Amino acid sequence: MTTTSAKPASHSLSPLRLTGPLFDKELRVSSRRRRNYALRFVYVILLTFFVAIFWLGVVESEYSPVFQKSRMALAGKTIITTIVWFQFITTQLLAVVMLSTSISDEVHHRTLGLLMTTPITSLQVVMGKLFSKLLQIILLLAISLPLLAVVRVFGGVPATYLLSSLCMTLTAFLFAGSVSLFFSINNRRAYVVIIKAAVTLGFLFGFLPVTIGAAFGAAAIGGSGPPNTSAWQIVLFLHTNPFAAMSLNTAMMMSPIMPAAMPTFYWPVHCVLMLVASTLLTAVSVGIVRRVALRQATGQLDLLPKRRGVKKRKNKSARQPGKSQERFGIVRRVKGSPVLWKETRAPMIRGIDSRNSFIGLVITIIALFMTYAVCKKSNCLNESFVHTTYVLMFVFIGSIFTMVLSATSITSERESSAWPIMLATSMDDWHILLGKAGGVFRRCLPVWLLLAGHVLLFVCIRYIHPIAIFHLLIFVAGLVSFLTGVGLYFSARFKRTTSAVVASFGLAIAIWIVLPAVLSLIPEFTRDSDQREKFAVYLSANPAVQSTVVTTAAGGDRAARLKLSKLRYQWPNRPGWSRVGGATRALLTYMVIYMSIGMFSAWRAKCRFRRSVF
Amino acid sequence: MIEIKNLAKYYGDLAAVDDLSLTIREGDIFGFIGPNGAGKTTTMRILVTLLEPTSGRASIHNLDVSKSGKKVRRLVGYMPDFMGVYDDLKVFEYLEFFAAAFGIERKKRKSIVEGVLELTDLQSKQRTAVDSLSRGMQQRLGLARVLIHDPKVLILDEPASGLDPRARIEIRELLRELKRMGKTIMISSHILSELEEICDHIGIIEHGKLVFSGTMEEIRPHLGIRGKVRVKVAENQDKAVELLSALPEVSQVQAVGDKLAVTFHEGSDGDGVIARTLVKADMDVISIEPEQLKLDDAFLQLTKGIVH
Repeated sequence: MTTTSAKPASHSLSPLRLTGPLFDKELRVSSRRRRNYALRFVYVILLTFFVAIFWLGVVESEYSPVFQKSRMALAGKTIITTIVWFQFITTQLLAVVMLSTSISDEVHHRTLGLLMTTPITSLQVVMGKLFSKLLQIILLLAISLPLLAVVRVFGGVPATYLLSSLCMTLTAFLFAGSVSLFFSINNRRAYVVIIKAAVTLGFLFGFLPVTIGAAFGAAAIGGSGPPNTSAWQIVLFLHTNPFAAMSLNTAMMMSPIMPAAMPTFYWPVHCVLMLVASTLLTAVSVGIVRRVALRQATGQLDLLPKRRGVKKRKNKSARQPGKSQERFGIVRRVKGSPVLWKETRAPMIRGIDSRNSFIGLVITIIALFMTYAVCKKSNCLNESFVHTTYVLMFVFIGSIFTMVLSATSITSERESSAWPIMLATSMDDWHILLGKAGGVFRRCLPVWLLLAGHVLLFVCIRYIHPIAIFHLLIFVAGLVSFLTGVGLYFSARFKRTTSAVVASFGLAIAIWIVLPAVLSLIPEFTRDSDQREKFAVYLSANPAVQSTVVTTAAGGDRAARLKLSKLRYQWPNRPGWSRVGGATRALLTYMVIYMSIGMFSAWRAKCRFRRSVF
Repeated sequence: MIEIKNLAKYYGDLAAVDDLSLTIREGDIFGFIGPNGAGKTTTMRILVTLLEPTSGRASIHNLDVSKSGKKVRRLVGYMPDFMGVYDDLKVFEYLEFFAAAFGIERKKRKSIVEGVLELTDLQSKQRTAVDSLSRGMQQRLGLARVLIHDPKVLILDEPASGLDPRARIEIRELLRELKRMGKTIMISSHILSELEEICDHIGIIEHGKLVFSGTMEEIRPHLGIRGKVRVKVAENQDKAVELLSALPEVSQVQAVGDKLAVTFHEGSDGDGVIARTLVKADMDVISIEPEQLKLDDAFLQLTKGIVH
């Protein structure tokens, strides 16, 4: 009797009740996946790499042992800060990536509706998915705990810092994971979820505070608003923004004597706020998952109810006598290359139709002009750094679009089983390849046109020198060819869209971020002049460096009025390229190299077309 | 004409197709049957140039599929077992896209697409988004796509799978129409009774090897079940059993429902003997009919149901 009554009581208190059997299933499955073990290995390697960089930065070997010993406390602090920040950023990235297919996989495999026929609740589905993935990340956090404990021996790091940063990291990646899970409900492809989650987090923790801050700043310059951002706004910002909170927490640890005007910050409050935000988002996800699951269980095709506007339009057309809704569609005739025609019919961002894309573009242009207005009010629109920032932003966005669209161009067809049909036609492989490449360029064109529009506008009003048009054209031609070719290769090489996108991004990060960072650590590349020159040549191939050099030299009203011969280009350690002729030659050389690699990759992609058709 | 000689396709050590040889005559409908993983789809993929054979030769209208890929693709219309559709296209656009892909001139495309839409009875759906079509309609669209460049040979991998009975009958009728148009059709299916009705020849494949190829008539002696008839008498069935069992040509008589299943000794053909014996005994004979060989029976007898 007692035994039977005790069982349900212990069962109801068990935390597993919240996650249900799905948690157990996810753990079993993840233990069988090799990629999880690879992930841990890569995590440890990267952690070691970053710790080594900062260790070498603080304790340099050429100084005496006494000096080095005196810097141990600082080294301890630096290493702990490195580990904490490394964990803080990577765990959020991992949470976004790992949860990007959490619900979409169930939707795609049609198992979500099946789960609804069992006693499992939608809360258990969401919690089971969320916590099983987060447990993997917690395991990664645990890997670095012994290292943190050892480094604390050096002194100077209070235990509260470790505790607070750990709690902040936990709540930050919980929130990032919740965002990713939320988007994975109605987005099938992992890379779409990853991009949407990254944009959302960037908007919430980057764009929004910066815009609000800029707006307050502009109002203060105009004299129409408050003189400066008030203390409560800073306190609110610190308690709701994990990056700001972590920065302040780290700053407080590094120099315990903080200025008196420092705003009040309580890390537990920040953690509670982040937990509340995660809980609310998860609750919304639970509701949507339930709706989606029930629709799937009852065999409805549209898993999410249509938006009101769409419904209204459909109803209106249905009411018109004698005309069914399907007769309303406009048929567009195929012109030119069929592959190119088909590619250009696809929306720039999947799931967003051309009408909404156009509205989005108009809003972007309006927002762009608003930022011009703010810069004008701040008297900095004629400065070269402003145009460098704009160009960098356009290049960054354009590169991302080119990488994603080229990497998805073939895998998406393979995933939807349309690829064999395409290959069974009499089109030759070159035709398909050129159509795909042309399609990628055509779909990315709006972003590059924004860059062109910006440069042309400011050339006209003489804030940018006209030579920048030519230089940026060369630079963009090389970059687009390279990214398109490489993206197409990965798209032909991999079966899954997400793998192709990740490989594309991975290559870009490796050659333009990681490799320069690693080379900069090698003494030969920093001290030996011959090696240093080679390193500078390699560094100058970086698109960020090229666009910065070109726009810094030709941007601003002062440069715009200079003669061509007076323009000076600041390439890293390459004085021979400082004049316009040298810079043009360098840019042309890099363009040829990038184009050659791009074309070689595209050719390799073509060779792989018929290798893994299914 | 399709000709396959000693065709083999290996995935590592696994033989998906092993020394397969067969010939399909021009204008025939050839049914390709086999259990899951037998090698049907692999053979079809080799024929449509999507896979390279490990060894052997396959040719369509004397064109080697490995060497003349582009020419072969012009001759062949291929419908895979699972057909992908493009999300953002309408039915007309989808077909016109493939018309353009096969290099049909722009001026001719509209009339060709309209003709194919009429043949497949899809005119009312031409402005409908492809991904919103039902499974049956998508299969029909797949057939329409296959016909867009007027190929001489159609290779259809389970075109009726997942369809309701009405859609299956419609597809069957469409295939008969295509045969009348002189197309050579190679079709695989698990709905064996359907192939029985439309195929001139069948090929049964298992473990990548062809275990039988021929007409429906040719399959009977191959299975050793020739000489089986069903006899129905008006009354006194027991007496009929007694009389027929005494005949030297008959090896076995069995009552199956209201009929008698009579099996002759090998090499004997005793339809006339049965009729004479029963009439002589003053019995009313309602029917004597040869036992129908069902393709399902042949399939079960010829294959062991072992899957790779």
